[in-house]
Amino acid sequence: MAAVKETVDTVAALEKYEHGFTTEIDQEFAPKGLSEDIVRFISAKKEEPEWMLGWRLEAYRRWLELDEPNWAKVDFPKIDYQDSYYYAAPKTKEGPKSLDEVDPELLAVYAKLGIPLKEQEVLAGVEGAPRYAVDAVFDSVSVVTTFKKELAAVGVIFCSMSEAIREHPELVRQYLGSVVPTSDNYFACLNSAVFSDGSFVYIPPGVRCPMELSTYFRINAKDSGQFERTLIIADKGAYCSYLEGCTAPMRDENQLHAAVVELVLLDDAEIKYSTVQNWYPGDPETGKGGIYNFVTKRADCRGDRSKVSWTQVETGSAITWKYPSCVLRGEGSSGEFYSIAVTNGHQQADTGTKMIHLGANTKSRIVAKGISAGKSTSTYRGLVSAHPKAKGARNFTQCDSLLIGKTCAAHTVPYIEARNGQSVFEHEATTTRLSDDQLFYCQQRGLSQEEAVALLVNGFVKDVLQQLPMEFAVEAQKLVAISLEGSVG
Amino acid sequence: MTLSTALKTGDLTALPSRRDEDWRWTDLRGLLRTLPPAAPAHDGKIPASPFAGLAETETLFVNGRRVADAEAASGVVALRFVALADKASQGASHSLVVKAGETLVLLESHEGRASGYVSDVLLDIAVGEGAFVERIVLVEDDAEAVNVVTAEVVLAPGARYAQTVLTGGARRQRIETRVNHPGAHAQVRLDGVYLLDGQRHADQTTVVTHAGVDGITSQLTKGMAADQARGVFQGRIVVAQGADQTDARMGHHALILSDKAEIDAKPELLIFADDVSCAHGNTIGALDENALFYAEQRGIPEVEAKAMLTEAFVGEVVDRIEHEGAREIAAAWVAHKLGGVR
Repeated sequence: MAAVKETVDTVAALEKYEHGFTTEIDQEFAPKGLSEDIVRFISAKKEEPEWMLGWRLEAYRRWLELDEPNWAKVDFPKIDYQDSYYYAAPKTKEGPKSLDEVDPELLAVYAKLGIPLKEQEVLAGVEGAPRYAVDAVFDSVSVVTTFKKELAAVGVIFCSMSEAIREHPELVRQYLGSVVPTSDNYFACLNSAVFSDGSFVYIPPGVRCPMELSTYFRINAKDSGQFERTLIIADKGAYCSYLEGCTAPMRDENQLHAAVVELVLLDDAEIKYSTVQNWYPGDPETGKGGIYNFVTKRADCRGDRSKVSWTQVETGSAITWKYPSCVLRGEGSSGEFYSIAVTNGHQQADTGTKMIHLGANTKSRIVAKGISAGKSTSTYRGLVSAHPKAKGARNFTQCDSLLIGKTCAAHTVPYIEARNGQSVFEHEATTTRLSDDQLFYCQQRGLSQEEAVALLVNGFVKDVLQQLPMEFAVEAQKLVAISLEGSVG
Repeated sequence: MTLSTALKTGDLTALPSRRDEDWRWTDLRGLLRTLPPAAPAHDGKIPASPFAGLAETETLFVNGRRVADAEAASGVVALRFVALADKASQGASHSLVVKAGETLVLLESHEGRASGYVSDVLLDIAVGEGAFVERIVLVEDDAEAVNVVTAEVVLAPGARYAQTVLTGGARRQRIETRVNHPGAHAQVRLDGVYLLDGQRHADQTTVVTHAGVDGITSQLTKGMAADQARGVFQGRIVVAQGADQTDARMGHHALILSDKAEIDAKPELLIFADDVSCAHGNTIGALDENALFYAEQRGIPEVEAKAMLTEAFVGEVVDRIEHEGAREIAAAWVAHKLGGVR
C-alpha cells in the first residue's frame, strides 16, 4: 500500500512546485539596495564586533572593484544589485529561546514543507522523528537550531553563524574566509559583505558527531536575496555528516542565492556534505522567475589523511552555477564528488567540481550525472589538477549525460592539468538518450511512460543516490522523478 | 585574436593570451614581447622534404613565400612550409578544393631549418561530395620557434576526411583543426601524436561541428612529455540541434615521463541533439612500472625500455594512417624521435 500512497502523493505533487507558497510573516527589511550603509546596517543588526564589520567593509570595497564573471554556459539578464533587499528577517522581539517562542506562522511553514527534510517533525518535537540536528535559515536569519544541548555534551558546537561570531569569535576569526577568501570570486565577495547568517559547526578532536547535522534554507521574502555562510571545522580525527536542503516560493521575478560554504579538515578528519537543492526553478513554460543559485563551496583538506565527500542533487533553481571543490593539501587526503543535476523547462545548470591535488598520494573521485529535458541546458564543468608536489595523485572521473527531448542540451567541459610524472588521471564521459528498447521493455510490462522514464533515470543516477544518507536518498529519488514530469511524449 | 592578425598589423595586443579561454595553455602574448622582422626571400638550395619520393607533385612555401604550386588537388600531393631564416617572421595561407569523388593524400610538412622564427599558416580545405582526403601533418620545428597552424576544413555530404598530426613541439606551437561536418554520411578521423622533450610545448586543438544528421567522428590523440615539456590537447565536438544519429568518439591519452613535465587536456562535448552517441576518454599517467621492470629484467636498459614502451603506446595512432608510405615515414619519425629522448 505504501507504494500506492507514494504514487498518489507524487501525482498530487506534480500539479505544481509544491514548495511554492509564501507565508505572511511579519518581516523586517533593510532598505532596498546595496551600499556601505547597508553593510553597516546588517552588521549592527547582528550586533557584531568591530572586526567583523571591518571584514565585511573590506569585502564590499573589493566587490566594487570586481567584474561580474560571464564565462559560464548560462544566460540571464544582468542582475540589478540595487533592486534587492539584502536583509530580511522574521520579526521577533528577541532570539527564540525555545520552540514555543517561534512564530507559529513560521512553524506552520515548516509543517507545510515536509519534503525534502522532515525537520518539521523535529521542530515540533514529534516522538520518533529522525534524529537530525537542524539549523533552519529563513530568508536571512537562522530561526531555530535544535539538539544543541545534546551536541554540546560531546563538545560539538552547532549554531547559527551570528551566534558563533558572538560566542566563539576565536574560531570564527581563525577560519572564516580561510578557505574561500573574500575576494575569491564576485559572488563570494558579495556574500562576504552582506551575509546575514548561516550555520557554524565545530567538531572537536576525535569526536564522531552523534547525529546528522542539517540546515534548511528557505527564501520567503519578495525581492530579497539570500546570502548565507556556512563554516564547518572538523578537528583532528573528527567526523560529521551534514545535510542541506533548500526551497523558495514561486515568484515571477528572479531571486539571487549567493552562499558560501567553507569546510576545514584537519588530520584524519572526515566530512560528508550532502545537498538536495530544490529552489523554485521558474515557470516551466515561460521560464519566468526562479532562483539564481550562485554558490561557492570549497573544502580544504589541510590535514593528512583527511577525507571530504560532496554529494549533491540539483533539481531546482532557474540557474545553477556552482562547483563544490576540494583542495587536497594534506598527504593522503581524499576528495569525492557525487552529483546529479536534473534540468527541465528552461532551467540552466553549469556545475561540476574542482579537485586540486597539492599533497602527495592524494586521491579523488568524481561521478557526475546530468539529465536534461525540455528546453534546458546542463553543463558539467570540472577541473582536476595535480601540483608538481602531488606525487602519486590519483583521480577517476566519470560524467554521463542523459538527454530527453530534442530541444535540450548537455555539455561536458573537463579541464585536466597534470604537472608531475607520478600521478594518474582517468576521465570518461558519455552522452546518450534514454534507450527506446528499455522504455519499450518497461512499458510492455505495464509501466506507464512516465513511470518507465522515472525508473530508467533513477537507474542512471543510482551510483550517486547510493552516496546519500538513507532518508535523503528516498526524497531525492522522488525529486528526480518529479522534476522530469512531462518531459517525454 | 590571432597570430596572423598580429603579424599583418604588427599589433602585439592582437596576440591570444592566457585570458582567452581557447588559449589558456598556449600563451603567445606573454611570450612574444616583440615581433621579429618579416623573413627575406630565399634564393639558395632547398633541402629535401621528409616525404621525399612519395608525392607526385608539390606545393612549396619557403619563408612564407609560395615557390611552387601543385597542379591539382588529387593524387598524392606534398605541401611544404619551410623556414630558412633565423629570428624572422613568416605568414602563409593556402586553399585546397578537392572536387567531388576525388581522392587526395596531402603530405604536409612544416620544416623548421632556422632558429627562433615565428610562423603562422592558414589552410582552407574544401572536400567535395563523396571525396576522400587524408592529411598527414609532420611538424618539425626549432626548439625556439613559435608556430601556429590553423586548418579550416569544410566537408560536403558523403565526404571522408582523415588526419594525423605528428609533432615534436616548439617553444610554443599550436596545430588547430576546425572541421565543419555536415553529417550526411560524412566521416571524420582526427588523430594526433606529440612527443616532447626539453622545454618544448605542443598544443593540438580540434573543433568538430556536426551540423546535420548521420555523421561519424573518431578522434585519437596520444602523446608523451619528458623533461620540462608541456603537451596540450583541446578537443571539442559540437553536435548542433537536429544533428541526430551522430556518432562521435574522442580519446586523448598521454604519458608524463618527468616530474617537471606537464600535460593539460580539455576534451569537450557540446550536445544540442538527443539521439546521439558521444563519448570521450582521457587518461594521463606514467609508464607502467611493471612493464618497465619486465623489460629491464630481460636486459633492456631503462632508456631503451622507456622508448620501446612509448613507441608501442603511440603506435596505435600511427597504425591508423591509411597511406602505406606515409605510415612508414611516420613510424620511422616516432622511432627516431624517441631515440633522442633521454
